Amino acid sequence: MTGPLVEIENLRVAFRNDDGSWNDAVRGVSFSLGREKLGIVGESGSGKSLTGRSLLGVLPDYARISADRLRFDGIDLTTASPKLRRSLRGGRMGMILQDPKYSLNPVMNVGKQIIEAIRIGDRKLSGAEARRQAVTSLEAVQIRDPERVMGLYPHELSGGMGQRVMIAMMVVREPDLLIADEPTSALDVTVRTQVLSIMDELVTRRGMGLIFISHDLNLVSKFCDRVIVMYAGRIVETLDAKNLHAAQHPYTRGLLACLPSIDGSLEPLPTLTRDASWLEAAS
Amino acid sequence: MITVENLTVRFSGSTAVDTVSFTVAQGESFGLVGESGSGKSTILRTMVGLNRHWSGRIIINGMDARTTRQRDLARTAQMVFQDPYGSLHPRYTIGQQIAEPMLINGIADPVGRTAELLDLIGLGAKFQFRFPHELSGGQRQRVAIARALSLSPRILLLDEPTSALDVSIQAEILNLLNRLRRELGLTFVIVSHDLAVISYMCERLMVMRNAREVETLTREQLRASDVRDDYSRQLLAAS
Repeated sequence: MTGPLVEIENLRVAFRNDDGSWNDAVRGVSFSLGREKLGIVGESGSGKSLTGRSLLGVLPDYARISADRLRFDGIDLTTASPKLRRSLRGGRMGMILQDPKYSLNPVMNVGKQIIEAIRIGDRKLSGAEARRQAVTSLEAVQIRDPERVMGLYPHELSGGMGQRVMIAMMVVREPDLLIADEPTSALDVTVRTQVLSIMDELVTRRGMGLIFISHDLNLVSKFCDRVIVMYAGRIVETLDAKNLHAAQHPYTRGLLACLPSIDGSLEPLPTLTRDASWLEAAS
Repeated sequence: MITVENLTVRFSGSTAVDTVSFTVAQGESFGLVGESGSGKSTILRTMVGLNRHWSGRIIINGMDARTTRQRDLARTAQMVFQDPYGSLHPRYTIGQQIAEPMLINGIADPVGRTAELLDLIGLGAKFQFRFPHELSGGQRQRVAIARALSLSPRILLLDEPTSALDVSIQAEILNLLNRLRRELGLTFVIVSHDLAVISYMCERLMVMRNAREVETLTREQLRASDVRDDYSRQLLAAS
C-alpha cells in the first residue's frame, strides 16, 4: 500500500449550545497515520475521543462535522455513502471501547457475539467455521479454555477477560485500522500490561494502524511510536514517544509533572496553571 | 486510632475479606493496594457499617464498630467514594448535600458551616446553590470531601478518590487531601490500585490479593523496592 492509511486535515466537530450557537469541540485537527501506533493524549473534553469517532463515523446526528480532508486508505470519508462507511466499520476499521461491562451485549453469550461479528463480515461462512474462527480469536488473546469462555455471559467475565473478548471480537475481522479508546483504564495494572502486550503483538504482526486514545501520558509513551497531545480541541504538540520527556509545550510538561511517582518527592504536586494562549496555539 | 483484627467478610459463599488485621495510628495515612476484587473496598465499607455480615473486631477511636451506634461512628469516620458522578444526589444543590449530615446530627448553624467547608476545599461559598451537573469531576470530588468533613470526623476513608479524574485534577485533589490532613489532624485510610498515588500519600501500606493480606510495607520499603513477596514485586514492576 502506498500513502498513509489515514489522513485528516482541519477536522472540526461542533455541538449546538442551548442558544443555538455552535460550540467547537474539535477545532482544526490534522494528522496522518501509517501502519504505526499513534497515541492521542489529553484530558477529558479535549476532543480525543471525538476525533477517533469522526473517523469511524459514529458521532450522533446532531454533531456538525467538517474537514478539508478525511481519508481512510484513499477513500474520501467526507463524501462516502452511509452504506460504504457501514461496510468499512467492523471490517476495515475496528474500535475498542473503555469498559467491557457496557460495550458487550449483556444478554448474549460471548461466543454468539463474536460469531455474529464474524458472520456480518462474511455471510457465506458456515456456522461451524465461524465458531472455529471465534475460538481461535479467543486463543489469540490468550484466553485459556476458550471453549468454556464462549458459553459465558459478560457478567461472568472479569474486567481483563471482558476487554480481551472485545479485542478478540475486533481483531477477528483483521481490520486495517484499530481505534482503541481508553482500552485499559478500567483494568488493574497487572492485567493492563498483559492486555497491552496482546494488542501490541496483534498490531505488529498483522501490520495494522493503531490509534490509541488515553489520558495516561506515560502509558502511551511506552506503548506507541508517536504521541499527539490535545488540549481543548486542538493538537498542541506531536512527539516521538521516546522523546516525550523532551516535550516543549507547557501543557505537556504540566501533565508529566503532575503525576506522583513511587520514588518521587513528597512536596505538593505541581498543578497545571492553564494559559489562555494554549487555546489558540497553532496545531 | 483504628484497629482491625481478623476481619472476615463473606458474601453468599465467596469470601471477600479473609482474616485481615491492621492498625492505623492517630494522624497516620494508611494505604490498601491490590487488584479489583481483592477486598480492599470491602474493608472500608465494613468499617463504616455498610456491610452487616462480618466477623472479627473493628475498633475505631476506641469504639467497637459492632456495638456502637451508627450515628456515633459516622461522626468519627467518614467515607469518600470513587465516582463523584455517582456519589452526589443529582437533585440536591451542593449546599444541601453538604448540610444534610449536619441536619441529621443536629449540628448548630449548618448553613454557616457549609460556607466554611466550601471555602476550606477551595470552591468558595458561591457554589452552594449549584447542582452537581454544573460541576466538573474534580469539583464534585471536592464537594464529596466537604460533605465527608461536615461532621468534623477524625478519620477519612478514601476509596479510590482520584481514579475517576484526569491526572491534572488528581494532583489538585491529592494536594487538597494532604493539606486537610495536616490542618485538621486527620487520619486517612486510602484504597487505590495506583502504587504511585499510595507511595505519595501514605506512610504505610498493605498489599492485598484474593481477599488476603500479602504484606504490609512502609513507604521507605516500597521506595527501596524492599518487598518480600513475589506478587508485590510484580505489582511494583507493572506500575
